[in-house]
Amino acid sequence: MTELILQAIYSGLLQGGSYALIALGLAVVFGTMKVINLAHGELVLLAAYVAYAVESAFEVSPIVAIPVALLVVCVSAVLVYFLVDRIQKDRELNSLILTYGIGVMLTNAVLLIWKADIRSTKSAWLQDAVVIGPFYSMRSELGFFVLSLVLMGLLWWWLSKSWYGRAVRAVASNRDAAKLMGINPRTTEIVSFVVAGILAAFAGVALYSYGVIQPPLGHALTVKAFIITVLAGVGSIPGVLAGALLLGVVEALTVTLLSSALQEIAGMGLFLLVLFLMPNGLFGTVARRG
Amino acid sequence: MNARSVAILLALVGMYIAVPLLLGPNLYVMSLLVASIAIGGVALAWALLGNLGGMVSFGHAAFFGVGSYVSALLSMKLGVPVFAAMFLGGVGAAVASIAMLPTLRLKGPYFALAILAYAQIFRILATEWKSVTGGSGGLSSIPRLPEIAGFDFGSKVGNYLVIVTIVLIFALIYERIRASHYGIALRAMHDSEDATRIVGVNSTFLKAMMLFVSAFMTGVVGAFNAHYINFLEPDYGFSGLWSTIPIVAAIFGGYRTILGPVIGAVFVYLIDQLVFKSYIPSGHQIMLGALLAGMVLFSPTGLLPWIVEKFKRSRHAAA
Repeated sequence: MTELILQAIYSGLLQGGSYALIALGLAVVFGTMKVINLAHGELVLLAAYVAYAVESAFEVSPIVAIPVALLVVCVSAVLVYFLVDRIQKDRELNSLILTYGIGVMLTNAVLLIWKADIRSTKSAWLQDAVVIGPFYSMRSELGFFVLSLVLMGLLWWWLSKSWYGRAVRAVASNRDAAKLMGINPRTTEIVSFVVAGILAAFAGVALYSYGVIQPPLGHALTVKAFIITVLAGVGSIPGVLAGALLLGVVEALTVTLLSSALQEIAGMGLFLLVLFLMPNGLFGTVARRG
Repeated sequence: MNARSVAILLALVGMYIAVPLLLGPNLYVMSLLVASIAIGGVALAWALLGNLGGMVSFGHAAFFGVGSYVSALLSMKLGVPVFAAMFLGGVGAAVASIAMLPTLRLKGPYFALAILAYAQIFRILATEWKSVTGGSGGLSSIPRLPEIAGFDFGSKVGNYLVIVTIVLIFALIYERIRASHYGIALRAMHDSEDATRIVGVNSTFLKAMMLFVSAFMTGVVGAFNAHYINFLEPDYGFSGLWSTIPIVAAIFGGYRTILGPVIGAVFVYLIDQLVFKSYIPSGHQIMLGALLAGMVLFSPTGLLPWIVEKFKRSRHAAA
């Protein structure tokens, strides 16, 4: 039993890597635009299906599809930006409705193009087992987990060291002051959407490489990304990573100990618990009202 | 008698006498009408929460599903009379909304996301709680609406009259709330929640009340629907469609008005069923998404108010 539990924790941690990428994309866009992109999970879904399409059309490994997924998802993310940017009145509320509508469109477009069937990769190489000590995983699980850590490291470096990354943080903390410092908030907003798109593209290909995908998944991913941001409190990269790993582990333990159908409810339970006990998140600072 | 009450009287005569007499024999048209007015009821409840409570919900499917399951189970397993069960279905949905109260701590976008998550949770519960809900196999032969005093409420015309009455009562309740001093406090909250709290309004309590009322209304409509189609399964009762169509309808008809969402629902449902669904049977929601996105971009206060405005202007120009 202990072995099973340890194995579940290990798998959950690996799964958490992709979750962290998705949640960070949501958080970066929320930082600069104060807009929750409800179509974010659908962008990840799109990347996953691009990987499927490339794999089945050219009979290559889904990893080869990463550049295509990057292109498709980043272009889609920028399109979402231009649509959101058109909203004048009641931006907070209307952008939610708009991105919800875009999400519904994307899910159904995927449904129309690739049908409702469950898909998974045919690559045996990716699904081969890797053994580290007592733990088993698929090669793709471990590989993409490491890749997601690298991407998070790059994101951290970019946000703290590069000019554009610092501009993103400046706009997030005080838009007007950032403007006075010569930062164009529009460019920064587009950059944040592109970054979200890049993270979503990697996460999507990862999900397809070690798991199964189907059209309703996008919606569920948006919800998961949101649960992670609530767990993490006001976003810091280590906080989001910790929240994502926690969600991954809780889900994996639920599947092992109870039933796979209750996986989603486990995340919600965690979310409610944190909301009751620590409304500012596990790693958030105390927020002031007004 | 002023013009307003004449108009109301004419509308009532039209709804209660003319429609059943003229369209009653055409079962297909009546079934479309019943379904669209039921969605109108959900759209009205959604708009109440959005307009008065300032909360955008993407999870009304949860209330719809809970209402339908509670009512269906009560009438099937405990033999509760159908109309009483429908009321209790609404109560059940309101009780279910208690589970969402902690999310009222979250502001704006966070509430919307939290309720999105809840809708999924209830669907999973309905699927997994097999001993009570029958799991994914669903419930069949749910009792139809009864015959009372020689009038069969289970017939198409009877169903129509029941749902029209329910939605009218909801519209009245909505109107009363809006006109009451709670309505004023709620409108003030929409402008600045912090300022309203400072003058002593318990904003969380008011938001919770709006959530209860909206959930109750949606639950009753869900219950009606269960007895109307006599069949229920988790993927249908908690379908995302019950969240999406009401939003599209409410925005279409103008969610700041009371009857706009209902009229919007009739339009949107008919377009969806007659046009979208016949061309794209499996992914017809793509058109609803496009419609929603388009409306938010071009006329966020509603398409119907916008058309009326245009119409008025062109009449003024002609005169």
